[in-house]
Amino acid sequence: MKVPIKQYYNLLSTYLRSQWRWVAVLAVLILITIGLRLANPQILRTFIDTATEGGERSILIRSALLFFGIALLTQALSVAATYVGETVAWTATNALRLDLLDHALHLDATFHKDHTPGQMIERIDGDVATLSNFFSRFTIDIVGNGFLVAGILALLFREDWRIGLPILAFAIVTLILLIWIRKLAVPYWTKYRKLSAEFFGFLGEHISGREDIRANGAVGHVMRRFYEFVQKMFPVRLRSSLGGYSMWMANVGLFAFGHAVAFGVGATLWRASLITIGTVYLVFHYTELLRGPISEIRTQITDLQRAEAGIRRIRELMNTESRLDDEGTAHLPTGPLGVRFDGVGFAYEAARVSSAVDQEDADASEEDNDHEPEMVPALHAIDFDLAPGTVLGLLGRTGSGKTTLARLLVRLYDPQTGAVRVGGQSVGTVQIADLRRAVRKVPQEVQLFRATIRDNVRLFDPSIDDERVLDALEHLGIREWVLGLPDGLDTMLAADGGGLSAGQGQLIALGRAFLADPGLVILDEASSRLDPATETLLEIAVDRLLENRTAIVIAHRLSTVERADQILILDDGRIAEFGQRHELVADPSSRLSRLLQAGLEEVLV
Amino acid sequence: MRMWRALWRLIKYRPWLYAADVAAWVAILLTELGAGYIAKLFFDSLTDASPAGLTIWSIVALVIAGGIARILTVLAGALIDIRHRYNMGSLMRRNLLASVLARPGAESLGRSTGETLNTIRDDAQAIEDTISWLIDQIALLVYAAVALVILIAIDARITAIVVLPLLTVIAAARLVGKHIHRFREASRRATERVTGAIGEAMEGVQTIQLAGAEKHVLGHVRELNKERLHATVRDRLLSQSLHSFFWNTVTLSTGLILLAAADSLSSGGFSVGDFAVFVIYVGVLAEVVAEIGDFMMHFKQGGVSMERMADLTRDETASAVVVHAPIHMSGPLPDVVAPRRTADDRLEELRAENLTYRWPENGNGGVNGNGRFALRDISFAIERGEFVVITGRIGSGKTTLLRALLGLLTPDGGTVRWNGMPIADPAAFFVPPRCAYTPQVPQLFSDTLESNIRMGIDVSPEALEESIRLAVMEDDVPQLQKGMQTLIGAKGVKLSGGQRQRAAAARMFIRDPELLVFDDLSSALDIETENLLWERTFARGDQTYLVVSHRRPALERADRILLMVDGKIEGIGTLDELLTEHEEMRRLWA
Repeated sequence: MKVPIKQYYNLLSTYLRSQWRWVAVLAVLILITIGLRLANPQILRTFIDTATEGGERSILIRSALLFFGIALLTQALSVAATYVGETVAWTATNALRLDLLDHALHLDATFHKDHTPGQMIERIDGDVATLSNFFSRFTIDIVGNGFLVAGILALLFREDWRIGLPILAFAIVTLILLIWIRKLAVPYWTKYRKLSAEFFGFLGEHISGREDIRANGAVGHVMRRFYEFVQKMFPVRLRSSLGGYSMWMANVGLFAFGHAVAFGVGATLWRASLITIGTVYLVFHYTELLRGPISEIRTQITDLQRAEAGIRRIRELMNTESRLDDEGTAHLPTGPLGVRFDGVGFAYEAARVSSAVDQEDADASEEDNDHEPEMVPALHAIDFDLAPGTVLGLLGRTGSGKTTLARLLVRLYDPQTGAVRVGGQSVGTVQIADLRRAVRKVPQEVQLFRATIRDNVRLFDPSIDDERVLDALEHLGIREWVLGLPDGLDTMLAADGGGLSAGQGQLIALGRAFLADPGLVILDEASSRLDPATETLLEIAVDRLLENRTAIVIAHRLSTVERADQILILDDGRIAEFGQRHELVADPSSRLSRLLQAGLEEVLV
Repeated sequence: MRMWRALWRLIKYRPWLYAADVAAWVAILLTELGAGYIAKLFFDSLTDASPAGLTIWSIVALVIAGGIARILTVLAGALIDIRHRYNMGSLMRRNLLASVLARPGAESLGRSTGETLNTIRDDAQAIEDTISWLIDQIALLVYAAVALVILIAIDARITAIVVLPLLTVIAAARLVGKHIHRFREASRRATERVTGAIGEAMEGVQTIQLAGAEKHVLGHVRELNKERLHATVRDRLLSQSLHSFFWNTVTLSTGLILLAAADSLSSGGFSVGDFAVFVIYVGVLAEVVAEIGDFMMHFKQGGVSMERMADLTRDETASAVVVHAPIHMSGPLPDVVAPRRTADDRLEELRAENLTYRWPENGNGGVNGNGRFALRDISFAIERGEFVVITGRIGSGKTTLLRALLGLLTPDGGTVRWNGMPIADPAAFFVPPRCAYTPQVPQLFSDTLESNIRMGIDVSPEALEESIRLAVMEDDVPQLQKGMQTLIGAKGVKLSGGQRQRAAAARMFIRDPELLVFDDLSSALDIETENLLWERTFARGDQTYLVVSHRRPALERADRILLMVDGKIEGIGTLDELLTEHEEMRRLWA
């Protein structure tokens, strides 16, 4: 079997290196405890031999008192070891959690589409929690208990090699068998954790969607899916739990065998008068004492099974790479940025196939092409050019590709063909961080966090002080509103981002964009859910934001495009029309004019 | 005592399984005692203190037979316990989910989804452990009683000396119990904040990425992580100190045996076999006390978990957590019962009288909170076949009105009447076939498009197709990779915003309700699509609509418009009437 030592070692050294002093302290504490445990049976033998041979009473009393002393010392040491061990473990696993979160935050949209937040909580927190014990005690316990076993065997050999040898054989057989059994359960643990992540993903999603579920009378449907999970999970849970029990059963059987060996050897040697009755007891007691370390090793191995499944899934997550390479080094200039699309083509499902592994899958599935529907392209051969400082109104039916076009600009995806250029640079050659600083998209659905208004506007950036936050709010005309709240900027938003209406949330999103001071703004229906009265208020703010900036405004209502210098109409992923707004309006044969005449004159004054 | 009552209720859910579980664990522990007694027989046969006349080799054979018996009992115990635990865990999780879904849908749970999941995952797990460990305790008591009887039979005086320190342990656990409760609670809260923050970061990953705020969000989580570390280490340190204190009594007791047995061992009144069985059985007794002490700690911590689950179900007695319900571990799953339409369901008139709603005052209401009126004395009526639009500026209470009307929020006053009859439980009443509703930002689920639209409704493929057509989605479906069978991703993210809204509309249409309620359905649709959608739905006739909108296609079609200002109805009338009478309407229209 393969023990992935290298993986463990890598994890251990990465996350424990910075705490090596504490790890050393922990090791010392545990080693001393082991020494104390080896001393116990020796005291008992002296006691029995002294008592049965009618020895001095003072020796008996001293032996008993020594026992108390050891007990108290063990107590103190184990508390100290707990403190050090837990601190080390939590420091290490917290660092791992942050690394995983960091990694997940940098994965592209394709990954996040396939993973619910509930699933991700399970993978970032749940999987790591199973590693907690691994970090604090695993190595030290395995090594420490190894020492304890070695110490017991050495002391037995010191008595007589005829005692030491059979017990040594017993210990070796036991360890080999226990380690062999270990691997039986791992696949079931992996499967169980995966299924369990799916299950909690399902629960999380349906808890967030309970308004929809209630009001559409779909509670029965959701419960039925819950029961499906109940049925599906039980066999997997049964097998993975039995894996843990199988270790216990093996342990029980092996120790019955061990006792049989100790009894046989002890009795034979005692009959031959080679050892005292106290020594027979010592042999029995040490054999019994082996149960401790071996059972601890067993426990550690059970934890390891869990940890290994966790490690495997953690590595899986860590090895998932964003399909957007971030190797660009170019920087974007400050000030308004020009935009240029050169023959850009893009399809969502094709974007999925990119890593080597996926490629194999794609090849395999090509063989049964009948079942695979054709790729659905979202954009074809898009060509247009936007001078710095101009405002583009982007129009088109739902699904015509407007949102996709915007996503390419901020590199949520990369196009399959052609190039997207911002500020003269192909977006692929610009560092993603730099690109997203300079190009800011105000999304359709605003994500709010359970944090203060301040942190929601500045997105936790501690370098942005209140003055700058308030400045941004002033621009939006909601400074007074925020300061009028019970705790001003300190007002906490409720758990599910609640407490703010959808429109108020959008004001926050605009505040975020103000703070970033981008050279290109993409407004994705930023005002779609605002009533006209508030929209009037916002228009001033949006005008300020667009001042001296390039902008792409995505809207379904023509009225919001009034401020556009140029108009681009998309139809089914192709450019249906592109030109100066006033020219298109003046030309009765233009698509824009036709749109206006289709009973929608009201939308433009 | 609430905890005991809840546990008792859980035990009664699968009483025979529970009894079998207890019996199996008693058997396991008794075979363990047997092994200890064999050790006594061994030493006694060496020192000729045993009258039984057993040979060494028959004792060795006995040891091995005992081992095999233990393996078999452990296997039986495992199979029973895993099944029993699974039953308990699934029942609690079922009840928690059912109770969350039974709550008014728009009412805040008072915690994030991540935190709620944490309760469903970890707190149910903690009680599952408690139940299973309670079985161990029963078995351990039997085990201890048998061991004690054997010890007393050997030497009552020494037995008495040993038992006393064990009793002090129980007293100690009682004293420390309070702190454990507090520390555990703090540690759980800190954990929740971390998982909550991770969940939010994942939900808002695009926002974070596009704002380049990854680093800052990590910083935020790092702070929460630190708090969690302190809280958890404190909790674990206390538990572990108590734990090792319990275990230490084993060694202390062995020391006591040494002192007490010194004289009788010398005089021969106490054999080496007796000594061996004493050390082993005192270990057993100490283990039992330690385990029971551990259990008492876990029990207190379990109490916290039970409280949190009870809190989630809003039922202090926790009876909603442990109520008996089928969990369908095997056999056919329950059919999703299609609601049957009765004559009473036919809508003639829907009337709201003095509907009032205040933001909750618990501080969790956030920026809008603190008891402010969200709706004040709203009264209106809708007749069968009408198209009624609610309009008003942002924050005027449009969405809140829909939610309070439909029971998705619990109104603070007022009556809602269906055909003149007051509705006692609007949340249960306003469901298909009477009513269906699409919120402002509809939620879809990680499943196929078809399953998202049907959500358990069993109708013909033609009806499904018709609902797709009404929602103006017939051109979109073939464009999707697998048509209706396309997996649409978490929250439906693989669809565009407009497709999500129309899928949610199709989800309503397929239910064919009397009253259709849309909250700003068209916000992600373009004008052409919106017009087409209204045209198609009106062509069906005979349905009643209540719609929040401020867009012209809806306002122009409205039979009546409710104009809302600051949680009150400013005016009711046709578009023309309102435009002439109300400045506010003119502003909205402009």
